[in-house]
Amino acid sequence: MKSTKAYPTRQPVDRYASDLSPSVQESVYNASKLKTEARVDALQRDFADPDANRRLAGAIKQHTLDHLDTYLEQAESSLRENGAAVHWASDAESANQIILGIMQRNDCRRMVKSKSMVSEETELVPFLEKNGMEAVETDLGEYIVQIDHDHPSHIVTPIIHKNRQEIARSFEREGLGAYDDDPTVITRRARDYLRSKYLEADVGLTGANFVSAESGRIVLVTNEGNARFSMAAPRIHIALVGIEKLVPKDRDLSLFLSLLARSATAQCLTVYTQFIGGPRHRTQRDGPEKMHVVFLDNRRTEVLSGDCRKILRCIRCGACMNVCPVYRQASGHAYRGVYPGPVGAVLSPLLKGKEFPELADLPKASSLCGACNEVCPVDIPIPELLLRLRNRAKHEHVSLAARGTPSMGIWARAASSPGAWKTALSAGRLLNVVPHGFLNLSSPARAWQSSRKLPPFRGGAFRKWMRERNPPKNGVPSPDRKSEPDS
Amino acid sequence: MKDRDTILKRVRDGLAETPERTPYPEYDPACAVMRQPHEFSSLWELFAWRMKSVNGVPLHGWNALGDFLRERALKFGYCDPEYTEAIAAVCGSLDITERFDRNDLDRYEFGITAAAGAIAETGTIVLTDAATRPRLAALAPWIHIAILQEDDIWPDSPTALKRLGDDPSVIWVTGPSKTADVEGILIEGVHGPGVQVCCVV
Amino acid sequence: MGTCLCDAFFDDAARATVEVLEYLGCTVHFPEAQTCCAQPAFNAGDWAAARRVIRHTVGVFDGELPIVIPSGSCAHMVYHGYDLALEGEADADAAPRFARRTWELCDYIVNGLEVREWPGTYRKKIAFHRSCHTRGTRTAESALALLGSIDGLELCTFGEQEQCCGFGGTFSVAFPNISAKMGRIKLEHMRDGDPDAIAGSDMACLLHLGGILDREGVALPRVHIAQILRDALKSEGLLS
Repeated sequence: MKSTKAYPTRQPVDRYASDLSPSVQESVYNASKLKTEARVDALQRDFADPDANRRLAGAIKQHTLDHLDTYLEQAESSLRENGAAVHWASDAESANQIILGIMQRNDCRRMVKSKSMVSEETELVPFLEKNGMEAVETDLGEYIVQIDHDHPSHIVTPIIHKNRQEIARSFEREGLGAYDDDPTVITRRARDYLRSKYLEADVGLTGANFVSAESGRIVLVTNEGNARFSMAAPRIHIALVGIEKLVPKDRDLSLFLSLLARSATAQCLTVYTQFIGGPRHRTQRDGPEKMHVVFLDNRRTEVLSGDCRKILRCIRCGACMNVCPVYRQASGHAYRGVYPGPVGAVLSPLLKGKEFPELADLPKASSLCGACNEVCPVDIPIPELLLRLRNRAKHEHVSLAARGTPSMGIWARAASSPGAWKTALSAGRLLNVVPHGFLNLSSPARAWQSSRKLPPFRGGAFRKWMRERNPPKNGVPSPDRKSEPDS
Repeated sequence: MKDRDTILKRVRDGLAETPERTPYPEYDPACAVMRQPHEFSSLWELFAWRMKSVNGVPLHGWNALGDFLRERALKFGYCDPEYTEAIAAVCGSLDITERFDRNDLDRYEFGITAAAGAIAETGTIVLTDAATRPRLAALAPWIHIAILQEDDIWPDSPTALKRLGDDPSVIWVTGPSKTADVEGILIEGVHGPGVQVCCVV
Repeated sequence: MGTCLCDAFFDDAARATVEVLEYLGCTVHFPEAQTCCAQPAFNAGDWAAARRVIRHTVGVFDGELPIVIPSGSCAHMVYHGYDLALEGEADADAAPRFARRTWELCDYIVNGLEVREWPGTYRKKIAFHRSCHTRGTRTAESALALLGSIDGLELCTFGEQEQCCGFGGTFSVAFPNISAKMGRIKLEHMRDGDPDAIAGSDMACLLHLGGILDREGVALPRVHIAQILRDALKSEGLLS
């Protein structure tokens, strides 16, 4: 499809995908496919019934969400006992102000940042920079995103959309050495440069993968070791945490860590799993003297009160995007938000609040194939949530979401009226039978038919055959279901 | 405190309309313990096999560590005072220091520190704030050597979770630091050690 | 339930479904007032329109007889769409009652009638697409068990068998580029083993894949599993 203008009814994600450079598309496709296969292999190799673990983890997360008030208060008091200061932020602005305030009160100028999707939500780095602070991303991918003034396109592998040549050019531009696109050289240069940043920094900021309400431990996983460094060199640690990150007990962590590492990167455990229970030990020389935890709402409570609350189970592994055939074609930026792929198609519009219509097209960016639910380590029924949001967009008359979707009103009248249906069938006209979209008349159908052909119309042929024959009279066995049809 | 009360109130109001609340499922955390491809004669055997599978270097005994240090022709590094004598005994040619200077990170070819435990199931070393001192010595040098008592190898991650104790910084280390951010190509030694050793004594 | 696609395009797949069920000893009733399962409107987000069609369908199929559908996606709509669309409505309990009577064809044959081996011969190499709506259900394995038991039939194995054909109903209209790419990737995989035909248990997927093949001028036949089962019987004179 060369021209995007010819088909004005196409959805933004589809347009984005067709404008994407073939090399980016190929690398996203290949990387996603490899990760999906590795994930399946790892789970099947290591567990007799990996599905049971997914469902169990989903139930624990749902339990936590269903009792979130209790667990938040428990976590708060555990964190305090551990010697951490606890802050609460209703929205992004409030979280950023709290963090800026901590830095100002402690005479801090420089921050090193470990990977945190929540800080992307609050746009923390530009905020701090505007207020005269330095904030450096230390995850290799995030660092490259930062120097390129770009955005991550994947929540686990943020620069899946970039190749080594682009990265090498960026490093050259930033004065990190002459052009060299060897990934080892790129990595060593980042290692050397970021070491100086860790040592200069006053504050290390991290997210949290989990928070145990029972012990107040913040659990963080990284492969690179940047979160460790961010908590070894600077004197203050700030953890910015979405309120949905809680798990009830320490004992639950084996299950979640085993699922997270396998779902994200097909590892049995991520290289570094940190359990942080406060500032450094009294006998320890390195590490933060002070620890601050900022709990962020940013519309999560709004999601919790709605019918898509199951999306808050998400542990940000990225498996749903890796397996998603739409993500594989469109890449992450097509989703125009912090969270791409199927989880983003649900979460991003929800986190928009009243501006839901801006991203209300995302739930349409799915063939509802269900692969995302099948791989989800916390068993989120993503297709169901996409459907609920499609219904919401229809209710709110969001024109962006409706773009390209044929109107169903006339069709529904025909499909609930046998006379009209049969007339349409016998008249040999598709109108009112199969949605307008497949008709030759409309613009979406022209787009459809540019790469596919409809089979010959045979309306009414089966009914005629059925009426004109003398079928054998037997009985109709009505077997009982021994289990649910979809189990 | 305004935000705190607002958030908790919103949570309660939101949940008030949830008719059914999911109970905490009864389960055995052992369900998260992975099966192994074959039997192992000891926890050390399993641990060593797993650690190798994530490109770690498991060693058994001081002499093995001495060989490792000599083979790599290492010259200078940090060593926890607890172990300097033992190291000197197996590798006399080394220049080891009991002082780690954070302003000269890259001078240290290796750091030798204590580990508080290990997880056989995954080949994981457990570092703690109380045992592993200082934090940077176990992180910044290219080679990190963790010294572990053989009795401290635990079978699996649920057991290790029970041993978290009251240490403020427990770190499970499973292989060397790595990334695949650039074109999915695996590179070891990003911010942390490129070589991760565990010597069981 | 005949499905709207069979009603409009694929009459032979519906005929084959009837013939196969009759061979198994069933009397097939085809309520003339039936139209569609309501999936197009439901997936488009127009649940008010979907409810209208769901209520019509539930009324047309009133009674106790099992409802057999030669389509995984329509059966899936009944299992998972009806309860969502009717959530909070006065007639919400119609959804689970209807779902319990509903079977996808292969599920009915294998798990309902407990027929696991299929007689007759079918001398062709088939690339079988297990439709997404059978994900995590017993339908796909039922279909594969039946196909695997037919004498002479060779099943091609191919890469990424779980992947979607890219149809998704109105998804293929609003996302023509991504959808067509998904279809082409699917076909590339399916044609790896050089099959004589592509097969599926859902005419919607076959409509999409067939549409791409036709547009590209590839004369690769596509058959519904009911047609394979029927033709296998016919080849041995088990069915006239």
